[in-house]
Amino acid sequence: MMKKITALLFVLIMLLSLAACGKEKPDAETGAETKQKEASTEDNTKKEDDTKTPAKTEEPSGAKEPVTIKFSWWGGDTRHDATLNAIKKFEETYDWITVEPQYGAWSGWEESMATAFATGTAPDVNQINWNWITSFSSDGKAFKDLNDYSGTIKLDNFGQSFLDQCTLAGKLQAIPVSLTGRIFYWNKTTFDKAGISTPTTLEELYVAGETFKTKLGEDYYPIALGEYDRMILMVYYLESVYGKAWVEDNQIQYTKEEIQKGFEFIQSLEDKHVTPSIQTILGDGAESLDKNPKWMEGKYAGIFEWDSSASKFQSALNEGQEFIVGQYLPDMGQYQGGYAKVSLAFAISETTEHPEEAALLINFLLNEDTGAEIMASERGIPLSKNGLKVCMDKGLLNATVAEANSRVLSWVQFPLDPKFESAELKSSDGIYYDAMAGLSYGDYTIEEATDVLIDGINGVLAK
Amino acid sequence: MAKKTGSATVQARPDGYGLKKTLKRNIGFFFILPWLVGFLIFRLYPFISSLIYSFTDFQLFDGVTKVGFMNYEEIFTSKKIMKAFGVTFKYAFITVPLKLIISLFIAYILNFKIKGVNLFRTAYYIPSILGGSVAIAVLWKAVFRDDGLLNTVLAFVGVKGPQWLSDPSYALFIICLLRVWQFGSAMVIFLAALKGVPLDLYEAAAIDGAGKVRRFFSITLPLITPVVFYNMVTQLCQAFQEFNGPYIITQGGPRNSTTLISLLIYNSAFRTYEMGMASAMAWLMFIVLTVFTAIAFISQKYWVYYSDDEGR
Repeated sequence: MMKKITALLFVLIMLLSLAACGKEKPDAETGAETKQKEASTEDNTKKEDDTKTPAKTEEPSGAKEPVTIKFSWWGGDTRHDATLNAIKKFEETYDWITVEPQYGAWSGWEESMATAFATGTAPDVNQINWNWITSFSSDGKAFKDLNDYSGTIKLDNFGQSFLDQCTLAGKLQAIPVSLTGRIFYWNKTTFDKAGISTPTTLEELYVAGETFKTKLGEDYYPIALGEYDRMILMVYYLESVYGKAWVEDNQIQYTKEEIQKGFEFIQSLEDKHVTPSIQTILGDGAESLDKNPKWMEGKYAGIFEWDSSASKFQSALNEGQEFIVGQYLPDMGQYQGGYAKVSLAFAISETTEHPEEAALLINFLLNEDTGAEIMASERGIPLSKNGLKVCMDKGLLNATVAEANSRVLSWVQFPLDPKFESAELKSSDGIYYDAMAGLSYGDYTIEEATDVLIDGINGVLAK
Repeated sequence: MAKKTGSATVQARPDGYGLKKTLKRNIGFFFILPWLVGFLIFRLYPFISSLIYSFTDFQLFDGVTKVGFMNYEEIFTSKKIMKAFGVTFKYAFITVPLKLIISLFIAYILNFKIKGVNLFRTAYYIPSILGGSVAIAVLWKAVFRDDGLLNTVLAFVGVKGPQWLSDPSYALFIICLLRVWQFGSAMVIFLAALKGVPLDLYEAAAIDGAGKVRRFFSITLPLITPVVFYNMVTQLCQAFQEFNGPYIITQGGPRNSTTLISLLIYNSAFRTYEMGMASAMAWLMFIVLTVFTAIAFISQKYWVYYSDDEGR
């Protein structure tokens, strides 16, 4: 009998432990805060009510019971370090708030965040990609309307046009952190080795391809372009030639013949030894271009990258190599083709229980002197007027990033449709990859690649 | 109080006896309850709901707007999906026989009395533990990239190696190799089966003049066919569900040459958020796998020897 009772007791314990496993799992950092969380339940209920009646200018009122919020972002080590330091300062300044960081590399990040947004389990504050607003919250259900927290987040630090880019379904769903666009970067050391200057025209770029081949060897190229890089460069090229945006009013603005011209341009870069084939780049076995040994050694002497990515590529180079920001190539066309877009934004999850504290964190990171000073240009050149001023006054901006950003913003003239970055188009098994790699591998003719691209884009635009 | 039941007289039981009896009879149920709860929530519920989703256009952020067979229609008309099924078949039919042959061969050798045999057994099992991890992906890339270890060795002997990872005709082979390399678990099962073959049969065959090869094919192999069958079915199921290898080494490339159906399901569900389509593909894979397993089970009466089956 005793045995049976003991057995039943064990079963009960197992069941209870199973139930416990189902509860929210406190991680290393959360664990310490459980008590604080419980203590603040009462306060949280009050805060929820507060959110229904938007707060204006005052900080969260009341007894300031301890509150824990979660903050997620992706990035590299330098961004992680800067953000963690900023969080530390934030917690010192707002001592009743504890911030649990959730961060990692980009790889796989979008997938996990998508699931979190869909299931309502996303952290309170999130670093988001601009197109996530369209992808995850086209109906405004994933993110809070930050106009409701304009008393806490000083919105007048941002130009209205930038805020408009983050407004959808009548809600300001995120605060833009910086603007970014693609620009050329060169490894000057390799060009010096080839005895030529870095290209300032398309013609010079073509000549560089031939020079690299004859003087340095078959495995030296002036620029390495992956599938997505090629797609963006093609759009820049077409906009330079024809002077119209790629997609507007939910429609491709280019005819089939015009797009074919774009593909011819991309193909010419491969044919003239300007860029290695996709097969060659894949054969290098590197996860990304900045981790490619041929980039590190200088065999690939150029990239066409986001201005905010400069430091990542620069730091990857082996010692003794000079990394410089390039010029746009004016002979690509008679217009200044290209676009700048919101690179990153901060958003507050609709499901958060602490929107005021979340808003305080965003404001601290972007607008407050201390936060902006620590963050500097880790997420690009700040769009926040005060953030930029602080960084400029104290000389905190990365000189290369600043130079690249100013060149981008003074050159590009065209808008970007958010669906351009739709996962169906830009993911590694998406349409851009299929069209560009298909052409490079010789699976598609230029006409077939054009058809694949147009059909794929139209399919996405029709959704 | 006595109660008559047929010819027997049954004594009335004290109150609570029925409950006690029921509890006693169902005590096993309570023991498996934790597993059952887990099964219902994490297996059966997703299993059924995915079947329902497969008939909808369920999109993670837009919900359901259409119901019907459109996903299945698209599967059969999409070149990309059909290619993925083709690649998956190719992958399964390359890896399963190769893995069975290699694991049986190594198990056969390790069944001999060799010095340090335990060390060899452990060494051969290690790849199965490492599996398709990120570290292994890095290793695989380092070995097979254009200027990697293998091509460097080939160049040393004057051979220009191919572009293993970026040439569509070789990439699948590299992914297959990763799976075949992890033959440890199948090997251990074979080893256990080999140890179960009675030694007197070998002795009798040796007296009759049978050589080692003859003894292997006429005694060893027939007697371990149930284990061969078991390993074949489990390996087949695993091969059809393979995900890690192509995901971390080639991401399905180049030109979708290593895009197995599991990878496409993942991409569909978590990159383009088309849960309905992902569910339909998963169900189709389930059906295909069920058919192959059924064929294997039907075929076993022709080649699997069970000792309790009168020598068949």
